[in-house]
Parts: sequence; structure tokens; C-alpha cells
Amino acid sequence: MGENHSFRSYPDEQPNQLRLLIMLHNIGATESSKSLTIQQISEWTRMDAPELQIHLQKLIERGYVQSFRSEETDKYHLTVDGIRKVLSLYS
Amino acid sequence: MKVGTLTWEFPPRVVGGIARHCEGLAKALVQQNHEVHLFTLDFPGSPNYEEMDGIKVYRASTELGHPNFLTWVLLFNHFLAKRMADVTQSIDFDVIHVHDWLAAFSGISFKHYLKKPMVLTVHSTEVGRAQGLHSPDSFSINGIEWWATYEADRVIVCSQSMKNEICSHFNLPLDKVDVIPNAIDATKYQASVDRGSVRQRYGVGYGEKLILCVGRLVPQKGIEYFIRAIPIIAKRYPEAKFIIVGEGWSRDILEAEARSSGQGRKIQFTGFASDQEVINLMTSADALVVPSVYEPFGIVALEGMATGVPVVASKVDGLAEVIEHDRTGVFVYPRSPESIAWGVDQVLSDPGHAKWLTENAKEELRKAYSWEAVAMKTVEVYRKVVE
Repeated sequence: MGENHSFRSYPDEQPNQLRLLIMLHNIGATESSKSLTIQQISEWTRMDAPELQIHLQKLIERGYVQSFRSEETDKYHLTVDGIRKVLSLYS
Repeated sequence: MKVGTLTWEFPPRVVGGIARHCEGLAKALVQQNHEVHLFTLDFPGSPNYEEMDGIKVYRASTELGHPNFLTWVLLFNHFLAKRMADVTQSIDFDVIHVHDWLAAFSGISFKHYLKKPMVLTVHSTEVGRAQGLHSPDSFSINGIEWWATYEADRVIVCSQSMKNEICSHFNLPLDKVDVIPNAIDATKYQASVDRGSVRQRYGVGYGEKLILCVGRLVPQKGIEYFIRAIPIIAKRYPEAKFIIVGEGWSRDILEAEARSSGQGRKIQFTGFASDQEVINLMTSADALVVPSVYEPFGIVALEGMATGVPVVASKVDGLAEVIEHDRTGVFVYPRSPESIAWGVDQVLSDPGHAKWLTENAKEELRKAYSWEAVAMKTVEVYRKVVE
């Protein structure tokens, strides 16, 4: 972060994990009833499932994403901290 | 008066100062016998309708999404407007009050649909937050902000510097804009806090200095300059501990900067903290640093003043109007780690002087920054547009 940097990098300039977090927020995966499978996230984000899994795991470790198993499938949604992290971009 | 308030954040959906501002203002309006119907977005665990301290809070659920933020904003405004439409069947609002560009689309629609006046509070601008317009989204947001100020019957800002900024940037007539400073609820800061126990919880030992920084972890808050000041402060105060409270998209970058400062062991990032925990920490700290590089007001400085912690702040924008140098706090140069270190030393090296600063700050708060006064001034603005 140099002296002349822009205050805000936009989604297309951001690290993949942050981009993914923003996309999950904007497509509405913000609570368990709105959680999405890897395949659904992949369709929205056009990211490959293996790459998605790596990013999602990192986001879970940081406390920004939560996953749970439903009908034999893992589903993912943002935690409250994840929502706050995304909204901080625009407030 | 019946007020329809639109805001994208309201507790517990707290991102920055807007949620706290809307809560403080709405509570004070209700206490002055006005009716406040507040429309906001849903948040995990919150009901879609509730009454909070007399404020009628309606939460809209955004049923459709889109990866692009601006498209998502348009979508949530549709659901916000739909929620408001249900209520306007039975409530005849006198005025619609919109907070920032994010809720502008639904507010402007209702202004025209209901033929009621609209007041807009501009909490900050895109050009200020982003220090320029660097992307298509930024240009769009800037355009929406201009459109909202144009559509509004009157515009409220929280500082003279914000008034200058928006009048110049959006070509607004000066007499369309009212300055009403932010405030805090002083009663929240009167409870006694066990400083020893709070400091122990964060690993701050007896005799060690605790230096605090509270804010969203985004570049406009200037936290990177605070982190760069830490090695300089640590030279004189090797026992000092540094706590950074807040969440934000640049947290990873700031944590990396803290690790590479050589002082990583002394720096803690707490993430988002509740209002009470922020009060606990401020009351227990030896100095509060507000290193912002863009700050339309700087409510965190007021919070610090209320808890009695000496405030060391950048002399920028609204902060320059809140603090008086060497009387209610210490000013430092923005973007200057050396200056921040100097400011911290000013309050740590002379506890008697620091105490005098905090006593002056508390007195200033009592005189100038109450929600009751903010509500009365806001009602004056409502009266201007209603009449």
C-alpha cells in the first residue's frame, strides 16, 4: 500500500478470496437458509470447484464463511464477520 | 412529525458510523414525540419487524442477488421500496429521510410517489472514500450521490468540511446544505469499567502502556500509518502494547504489515467488537489513536473523549472541527508515522497534561454533542421542507 494507492481496490483487482467473499455476499449467501453448494457457487462465480474449495477453506479458517452438511452435500454461507468485511468496502 | 427513514445499515447491521448515527438520531426523535419508521436491510438473527426504543424498524430481505455490487444495490433498493410500499398504505409520512447513496433509489422513488419532501444525509462521498474516481463503479456511485443531492429538498452533513466538499464537488448551492454534527449517547459511557481486568484479558501487564486504535480496517482510516508508528513508539516505550479493533477488507494487508514491523508480538487485532467492549477498551487504554486520512466527522474521537482516554488524531476534515489541539486532544499530521509517534509520546510522557486534556474533552462533549441537540436541529430541517 503505497502513498498514492487508491483507497479501494475493486472486485476485479482484488485477491481471489476477497472477490469470492464479495460475490457470495452479493448473490445472497448470507445465512444458512440461503447457503449454496460448491456447484452453485461455481456457476455464479465461474471458478473451478477445486480452486473454490481451497479459497472456501481459507475463508472458513478466517471465520468469514461457515459450512454445514445438508443432504450429503456441503453448503456455504457468510458469517456475520464475513458480511461486515464485505460491507466495509462500501461504507 | 412522521418520519420515514431509509438506511442500509442499522443495528445489529453495524458497518461504520451510519448505523450508530441512525440509531442515535431515531431514538432522540422518538423521545421528542416524533414517529420514526425506519426501513433497512435484514441481518442474520434479526426480525423483519420490531420496535427498538420506540423506533419502528422494518427490515427488507433481498430475495435476488448478483455478483456485481452496484447491481445488488439496485436489487436491494427494490426490496426496500417494496417493504416501504406496504407501510405507506397506512402511514402518511411528513418527510422521507435518506442516509447516503445506498438507499437513494428507493428514497427518490418514494419522494415522487408520495409527493413528500426528501432530506438526504451525506455521511461521506465516493470521491473522498476512494480519494478520486478510479473505476467505472466509482464513477457510477459518484453520479448516484450527485443525483441524490439534486433530488433532495435539503441536504445534511456532519461537518463544515463535508459541506465544503459536497458543495464544491456536486455544485450544490451553499444554502441547500445544513451542518449538524454527530453525537454520542453519553450515558453509555458512564458505567464503571474494571480497567485491570480488561487489560489482563488482553495481556497488558501492570505498568505497561496500552495504545488503542478503533475503526473499520479500510485505507481511509489510515491504520497502516499507525502500524508504521509502532516501532518508533516502542523504542521509547518498549513495554507498550497495541490493540487494533475493527473489521474490514484490508485486514489481511494490515496484519501482514504488523508482522513485518518487527513488533508483531505486541500488536493484537481483535476483529469486530461490541459497543460495550469498545467502551471497555477505550476506558482501559492510555491513548487512543485516530490516524484517519479521510474522515467526514470521526465519531470514534467523540467516543474516546467520552471514556476519558487521551485522543491523538490526524488533523483532517471533520476531526479538525471536533478536537482542539492541546486543549481537548492532540493533533498529528495525516499519513505521518513520525507525527503519530510524537502525538502518542505527548500524552504518555506527561500524565498530568493528558488528564487535563481528557477533562476538557469531557466538558466539550457535554456542551456540544448530544443526540437531543442533533434531533432538534434535524427537526428544524424537516420543518423547512414540510413548510
